[in-house]
Amino acid sequence: MRRFFKNGIAVAGLLIIGLYIVTIVVSMFWLPFDPVAMNSARVLEAPSLSSGHLFGTDEFGRDILSRIMKGTSVSLLISISATAFGGVVGILMGIWAGFLGGRWDNFIMRVADVLFSFPSLLLAIFIMAVLGEHTYNVVVAIGIVYIPQFARISRGAIISLKSNEFVRAARSNGAGDSYILFRHLLPNILPPIIVQISLSLSVAILLESALSFLGLGVQPPAPSWGNMLSSARKVMMLAPWTAIYPGLAIVVLVLGFNLLGDGLRDILDPRLRNVR
Amino acid sequence: MKDELILRVQGLLTEFYTERGTVKAVHDVSFDLHRGERLGIVGESGSGKSVTNLSVLKLIQYPTGRIKAGKVLFKGEDLLGQSEESVRKVRGKHISMIFQDPLTSLNPVIKVGKQITEALRLHHKMGKKEAQAKAIELLKLIGIPDAENRVEDYPHQFSGGMRQRVMIAIALSSDPEILIADEPTTALDVTIQAQILELINSLSDDKGVATIMITHDLGVVAGMCDSVCVMYAGRIVERAPIDDLFYDPKHPYTEGLLNSIPRVDRDQNQRLHSISGAPPNLINLPPGCSFMPRCGYAMDICGKKTPPEIFLEGETKRTVSCWLHVKEDKHG
Repeated sequence: MRRFFKNGIAVAGLLIIGLYIVTIVVSMFWLPFDPVAMNSARVLEAPSLSSGHLFGTDEFGRDILSRIMKGTSVSLLISISATAFGGVVGILMGIWAGFLGGRWDNFIMRVADVLFSFPSLLLAIFIMAVLGEHTYNVVVAIGIVYIPQFARISRGAIISLKSNEFVRAARSNGAGDSYILFRHLLPNILPPIIVQISLSLSVAILLESALSFLGLGVQPPAPSWGNMLSSARKVMMLAPWTAIYPGLAIVVLVLGFNLLGDGLRDILDPRLRNVR
Repeated sequence: MKDELILRVQGLLTEFYTERGTVKAVHDVSFDLHRGERLGIVGESGSGKSVTNLSVLKLIQYPTGRIKAGKVLFKGEDLLGQSEESVRKVRGKHISMIFQDPLTSLNPVIKVGKQITEALRLHHKMGKKEAQAKAIELLKLIGIPDAENRVEDYPHQFSGGMRQRVMIAIALSSDPEILIADEPTTALDVTIQAQILELINSLSDDKGVATIMITHDLGVVAGMCDSVCVMYAGRIVERAPIDDLFYDPKHPYTEGLLNSIPRVDRDQNQRLHSISGAPPNLINLPPGCSFMPRCGYAMDICGKKTPPEIFLEGETKRTVSCWLHVKEDKHG
């Protein structure tokens, strides 16, 4: 813990993420404007203090700040649940594959290889097309993209660990397979997994935005950063603020997760521990 | 009570499957262990000492290897015939093991206190508080100062000797009837070795634990054990009470081993005796006695037939597998 707070990069990342979480909490109780209320009198208004539209309005006269705030919870929620889904499934598959080896391992890893051979966005688009355009399908699609990544990382870590003497020692104490796997091996592979989680959270934000931008993700009028960008595309030259602010929201949050991930990697990797 | 038979291993045969062929790591091994007895198993690297004991606890994992034949009778019940589930109830509770390398035998990310009580928690469903108290008690028993604070430490905060003590504490935590120590002092320096052996001795004396001490160090055996099995190329070539073995070795290999111990009373300029040749490859064992190519007493029959394990005349505790001691039919 102390090492965490000494690491400026990780703390900066955490502060950025904290800012977004505060935004979510605020948006649950108060928004400057109704994010879906249209106002034909104030279409494409430039950002200004006097009108109250700090980030301006879009082509339907909706307040961009309110929409970004509302979209934050959508984006973060999708990112977290997709990572949780892909992580849990992937890690479980990976650790059992690595631990048991043999045919099961071969099968799981070949499936993972097939999934890996598609670019993640293409795979996500494909899954969305199959499942249909629903917000919760975005979670499933991104989650499936993540499964092979988590599976591969945890499998590799387990394989290098399972030949350790302490595994045999635990067995000689009367421990069974799942006890050894979950109590002895899993705690040992947490560092790479934690790093992977934080990086996955950031990629999930990008994937969700990309899917929504393509019209496959969160459906309008519900606001999400991706579909805000998508609709801004047409008026971007006229009213750049419609694209700049949602874009900034994405960039900064992704930056936050990446900083946290990099920081955690430095903290958790014992080989880098004493490099200063 | 001392003569009560607690473990009988009969005709144990363990194989490993490698890319180059089947390795017969343990070949027709039999021995008895009585309550409170200290049995030494000596032999050079690769002679099957460790595999024998892993087999006793059925810790050989298929498809790497398999126990092909034999019986391990623990209090009259064959462990090898039982399901994994019921063998698990014996491991760590009735029979526990101490491993060779204390540096890798403890899980680096789990607190020492928690690891000490692992066997207890697995077998007795012990609660957290009770386990913690027991862990402190065990740390005190093995002589680790400041036990109340050290239970919260991780293995890397312990020295090698202390970690081996912790391993001993784990093995003895649930009052086992048999303790198998697989080269417990090999990774430690000599002063610590003596302390660890002393600790194993006193703890097993106090609790009447039967001990199997696996080692390649005849000095350790001489200091600790009541009887010895000498292993060579997967077989037990000689079994004897400790004094008989040292004063009157029957098997040529045992004789060679004893001669190759450095001695203070010998001429300093004299070269150390060594057994010429190398142990055989266990993948393609030739017929006959596997020690024959290195044996100074080799006869015709040695290359043709594997010598039987025979009881020496008038003895009930000494066996030897060598044609030299088979009275009749030396020409097969």
